[in-house]
Amino acid sequence: MSEPSFEEMSKELEEIVVRLERGDVPVDEAIELFRRGQQLHAECVARLESAELQIEELTAPDPAT
Amino acid sequence: MRKVEHLAYGDRKVFTVSAFNRGVGMFLGRLPAVWVEGEVTELRRNDAWANVFLTLKDPTTGATLSVTIARRIYDRLELPLTEGETVHVAGRAELYEQKGELGLRATTVERLGIGAHLVALEQLKRTLAAEGLFAPERKRALPRLPRAVGILTGADAAARGDLVATIRSRFAGTRIVVCETRVQGKGAAGAIVSALRALTEHPDVDVVVLARGGGSFEDLLPFSDERVVRAVASARVPIVSAVGHEQDTPLCDLAADARVATPTAAGALVVPDVRELQGALVATRRRLGLAIRGRLERDRGRLERQGERLRAAPRLLTERKRAGLDRSGARLQALSPLATLSRGYAIVRARGGALRAASSARVGDSLDIQLAAGALAATVDEVRP
Repeated sequence: MSEPSFEEMSKELEEIVVRLERGDVPVDEAIELFRRGQQLHAECVARLESAELQIEELTAPDPAT
Repeated sequence: MRKVEHLAYGDRKVFTVSAFNRGVGMFLGRLPAVWVEGEVTELRRNDAWANVFLTLKDPTTGATLSVTIARRIYDRLELPLTEGETVHVAGRAELYEQKGELGLRATTVERLGIGAHLVALEQLKRTLAAEGLFAPERKRALPRLPRAVGILTGADAAARGDLVATIRSRFAGTRIVVCETRVQGKGAAGAIVSALRALTEHPDVDVVVLARGGGSFEDLLPFSDERVVRAVASARVPIVSAVGHEQDTPLCDLAADARVATPTAAGALVVPDVRELQGALVATRRRLGLAIRGRLERDRGRLERQGERLRAAPRLLTERKRAGLDRSGARLQALSPLATLSRGYAIVRARGGALRAASSARVGDSLDIQLAAGALAATVDEVRP
């Protein structure tokens, strides 16, 4: 199972912010959303801070050989 | 570049032979690159030499031109030329200074069989276009930050190096999955399809770059192979084509989701600049905080207003009760007989009760008449029922 992409996380974060900004969420849910938003934000930041370039080599079967 | 200097004999400028040749050579070097067609003669290639030499002959006039091409480039073309063959040579005019001989410094050589290739290619392009393989609405957006970037490359260190360096400078934490494969010559198309499949089947690869530097028309042909073009069009993830140079348009360029002229441009396209993303995240975090604070403050405000209403409730209740009582008092007041008397009515009592009918009294009865103020004693003189 692959982990969620930065793309997916930042999209969810944006949706949370928009919902909270609209302000029609019940308060318990709003707090829950905020916590989730904080967590997503932290994960996004962490994703950006990993500074190690990883290079993996793949070998594909060459049909001609 | 060295300056061309002359000797001076009084007013006369005099050039040495090598200065003259150098000057003419520099002048020729500014001419544009061109294609020259001719027949191959006097082909000389030696493993010990840095260059391969040949003479191009114009078959109609017999005019000749010396051609020099780097052996490294010539060998990579994989076209063992034979004498008498007609070729197209791309290159620039060059002067061999030691001898003052004009020549052509070649960058690539193509056999003249290419015409047939071009026709077949045009045919394939039309067929695939009619199928909608190149349609703009098929193009997918590239991911903003791919979990891993797939790179399909030949043994082309320069293209791969440029791409990796660009990715590193923009987003150092990128994961790169490289699949090196044969990209030219016999069997290259099948190898490219196989490599592309391996890359797109990798679970984290979100975008694939086809990184292939420049090459001759024939070198780039596998990237116009129908199998490769179809594989690019139907790939699971978006494909960026960085094949050949600006002037080349292999068909995979048309089927890819994006095409660029250089590996560096591909790098800039597939990963974002980390500084921009970090800035955007800071802004999002601020909005998140503001939104929850706003939300909670609105709730607190509503709660306070509700509290005030709650505290005000008992007082309101008492006031309402008092008002009710006041109204009852007034109604009670209105019903009081005393209030009636004050408007000029009187209560007449006889035989121990209030009289309501004349017939209840007899002549001679004593009457007690009560007024608003005081009372009168009277006697009945006559009864008129």
